[in-house]
Amino acid sequence: MASLALIVLLGVGFRKFGAALVWYDEVAAILLAWLTYYGAALAALRRAHIGVPTVLQALSGTPRLVMFWTAEALVLAFFVVVAWAGMQVLAVIGGDSLVSLPWVPARLAQSVIPIGAVLFILAELVSIPDGLREDDEAEVHEPT
Amino acid sequence: MILLLMFVGLLVLVTLSVPIAVALGIVAVVAMILTSGAAVLPNVGLVMFDGATSFPLIAIPLFILAGAIMNATGISRRLIAFASALVGFIRGGLAMVSISASLFFAEISGSAVADVAALGSILIPAMKKRGYSTPFAAAVMSSAATLAVIIPPSIPMILYGVMAEASIVELFVAGIIPGVLGGLLMMLIAWLYARRHDFPVEDAFQLKRVWQTFLEAGWALLLPVIILGGIFTGWVTATEGAGLAVLASLVIGGLVYRELDLAQLKDAMLEGGIQTAVVMLLVAASALLGDFLTELQVPQRVAAGIMEMTTSRWAILALLNVFFLAIGLFLHSAAAIILVVPIVMPLVRAAGIDPVHFGLIVTLNLGIGQQTPPVASVLVTACSVAKADIWEVSKVNVRFIAVLLFVLLLVTYLPIIPMSLVDLFYR
Repeated sequence: MASLALIVLLGVGFRKFGAALVWYDEVAAILLAWLTYYGAALAALRRAHIGVPTVLQALSGTPRLVMFWTAEALVLAFFVVVAWAGMQVLAVIGGDSLVSLPWVPARLAQSVIPIGAVLFILAELVSIPDGLREDDEAEVHEPT
Repeated sequence: MILLLMFVGLLVLVTLSVPIAVALGIVAVVAMILTSGAAVLPNVGLVMFDGATSFPLIAIPLFILAGAIMNATGISRRLIAFASALVGFIRGGLAMVSISASLFFAEISGSAVADVAALGSILIPAMKKRGYSTPFAAAVMSSAATLAVIIPPSIPMILYGVMAEASIVELFVAGIIPGVLGGLLMMLIAWLYARRHDFPVEDAFQLKRVWQTFLEAGWALLLPVIILGGIFTGWVTATEGAGLAVLASLVIGGLVYRELDLAQLKDAMLEGGIQTAVVMLLVAASALLGDFLTELQVPQRVAAGIMEMTTSRWAILALLNVFFLAIGLFLHSAAAIILVVPIVMPLVRAAGIDPVHFGLIVTLNLGIGQQTPPVASVLVTACSVAKADIWEVSKVNVRFIAVLLFVLLLVTYLPIIPMSLVDLFYR
């Protein structure tokens, strides 16, 4: 987040001095994607993703457990697909590089998808006990 | 047919408590496989990456960061002191302070939840100590924060601007008059309530104290001037303005006030990172589904269907208002903007409604949604800070929600209120 702020400021600074940095918006946008997926894994660890747990919270006993595990399985399955798709993309783009910075391989930027997805899966697994225990106190993690 | 399946699938998944972003992704992936076969699956990786690389949305983590720095450097405390000197002498003074400080704070952070968490943790205990009822303290903080979110900068407006392809700067400008108007109305309501319940006044009005606190808070008051001035004059874009907000709050907090609580800042940044990721994952997943909806021409069909029933702009606005209010009951505002705005935009444009005008309507609508349980992020935050019961707070909050609804009606049916500044400067 701090580096994102730094790059945007650098970008503005250089533009005002008449030497626009061609790479600044591309790199900043890639950093946002990184923040998204690494942050998403962290959010999964804290069970902070936006959902509608109303029905789950109303249930108890076996129905609640069945529902909980179904939802977990679906989330995990989705990120397995994303991780796999991300690996395929890495294979396809091969030796390509960023448009504005030819010495940075595009693989580096795109690697966030498979890595982020695997981290998400790990975080989801690690936080399962929290999810099971979770009481009905909702925490708010929304920036609006 | 496939559309109906997708909708039902989404509903089932969300009911199962699958996070909304993941539910969107699952539905999109299944639909992709059903229509084009498994060979297109690698696209998922590409779209999920591209969906998260939007330059305008970088403003979101930056404004969150700026708000966090303001808190860690005591800027919010000084704003409260200044507001207290200015309006504290009125009956129910601390409530006036809460409303006006919210409006100030909103000019830097852009988030109602951040607003209520930062100012509420100082002002709600202060109000309780001075004998205000707890539900009132929570309600006034909660509603003022929501109103403040239409005052620029505003994270929901940034999201809307990106989703609806509307000018973020014009959205910001459109929020100014309704925001100030609503603030004055809320102060009036709070004053009436305070008189009836005989809430105390703070220190008597002293020009000397106003001047002193103004000097203390002067640099902090300069922040919005720098940020908004930069954005409105076109010197920087909204995203760069957000970067400027980070720099300015660091310089003012760290160098001028020489107060920077690094531990607090680190926690706030981590939390800010999570908040950003939660929203951005939704954006990325909705990009996956969005391609699909566009292919099926869903938004166009929705527009055509409703235009067949009525072409009256006012009727369509009324319909959309009711629709968004209903959605706001059950969805967080970021999720609602990401999911619904792309679908209704063709209708909005076809009906001849200005996307900037509509953006303000959406922001206000979903802001009211943040006050109405079951899903009400701002109210929940205020209640947890105040340790108050949501329903007790809601009973008092009804008055302030009424103000928000009134402002919404004004904004909807008197477009001149939000749009006059926009027309004056940008059209």
